Amino acid sequence: MINEIDLKKLWGNQKTNAPDLAELFQRVDKFKKKRLRTLIKLNICLLATALFIGFVWYWYQPEMITTKIGICLVFLAILIFLVAYNKLYPLFAKPGFELNSKHYLQQLLHIKAKELYLQKTMLKLYFALLLLGICLYLVEYTSRMELLWAVVVYSVVLLWIGFNWFYLKPKINKKQNIHLNNLIEKFKKIEEQFKTNQKP
Amino acid sequence: MNLSKENKLDFEELYTTYWQKIFRLCMGYVNDADWAKDIAQETFVSVWENLSKFRGESSIGTWIFRIASNHCLRQIERQNRMPKSELPTDLELTGQHSEEKEENTVLLYRFISELPEMQRIIISLELEELPQAEIAKITGLSEANTRVKIHRIKKKLTQNFANYDQ
Repeated sequence: MINEIDLKKLWGNQKTNAPDLAELFQRVDKFKKKRLRTLIKLNICLLATALFIGFVWYWYQPEMITTKIGICLVFLAILIFLVAYNKLYPLFAKPGFELNSKHYLQQLLHIKAKELYLQKTMLKLYFALLLLGICLYLVEYTSRMELLWAVVVYSVVLLWIGFNWFYLKPKINKKQNIHLNNLIEKFKKIEEQFKTNQKP
Repeated sequence: MNLSKENKLDFEELYTTYWQKIFRLCMGYVNDADWAKDIAQETFVSVWENLSKFRGESSIGTWIFRIASNHCLRQIERQNRMPKSELPTDLELTGQHSEEKEENTVLLYRFISELPEMQRIIISLELEELPQAEIAKITGLSEANTRVKIHRIKKKLTQNFANYDQ
């Protein structure tokens, strides 16, 4: 029969060689680079788009107010998304490992809820502003075209945005939301374990 | 990383002192030697990154165990990894009855890894001989609740061994 002393003895039997410290420091560097790369990738992508739009404004000197409003709206969409993402990023990367387990779980739940919010609300806002911006932006250029070509340009743009909005976005969102909701549920289950009367 | 030489020495000392303890905690949690080593390493990466921010509000050991416990809890996000029962390849058990000891050690870690997540952490800290007040500080449970839980988990583990023997 295993008693309490035996449990402690058995527990202590488990030993393994500590990996070399150099390996650990390599890992520190790897983590740092990975975090930086993720952050840079998204920022560069969106900032390049913003720069391109800025260049269009500078180069083509739009005359109509609708074009200028359109460009501003696209800028705003990118800016809002970048600010929201960059504000949340430190939380995703370092979620407060020094907290006690109870607070840490609450923090994880909070982060996952924010992630859901970023995906649902922020992405909707981003797409809406982008759609409105592009449509307004096109007014000036399509007004100089023949009606048929103007209809074609708007149709292609609307079809492309529609494909993103009605097909691509829900598909990606569904997959990510299932994963996030799954995690939230699991975290909540662990939270339940803090109750006094829970038995092993 | 702009930590001083002194900090690096401090860290090396912490690493040597706590590696086995943290590894065992992780092993109790996942029961997979490679995975446990991974979590233990991630823990020490966090310790290294945050050492300059440690203000001594708790003992350094409590602080490290907190970081390790939270890294364990975060494993829920790694859904693709499935735990398996095994001992590390470099595990050395010597002396009489080593086979029986080995089997019981494997069983103990398996039984622990089958408990609900928080109970795995609580019992691992208890078997690591941390005072119950410290365990309460690491987990965020009250001391009374910690005591009750430890008692129940030990009973359950002993029962598991008894059932296995039959």
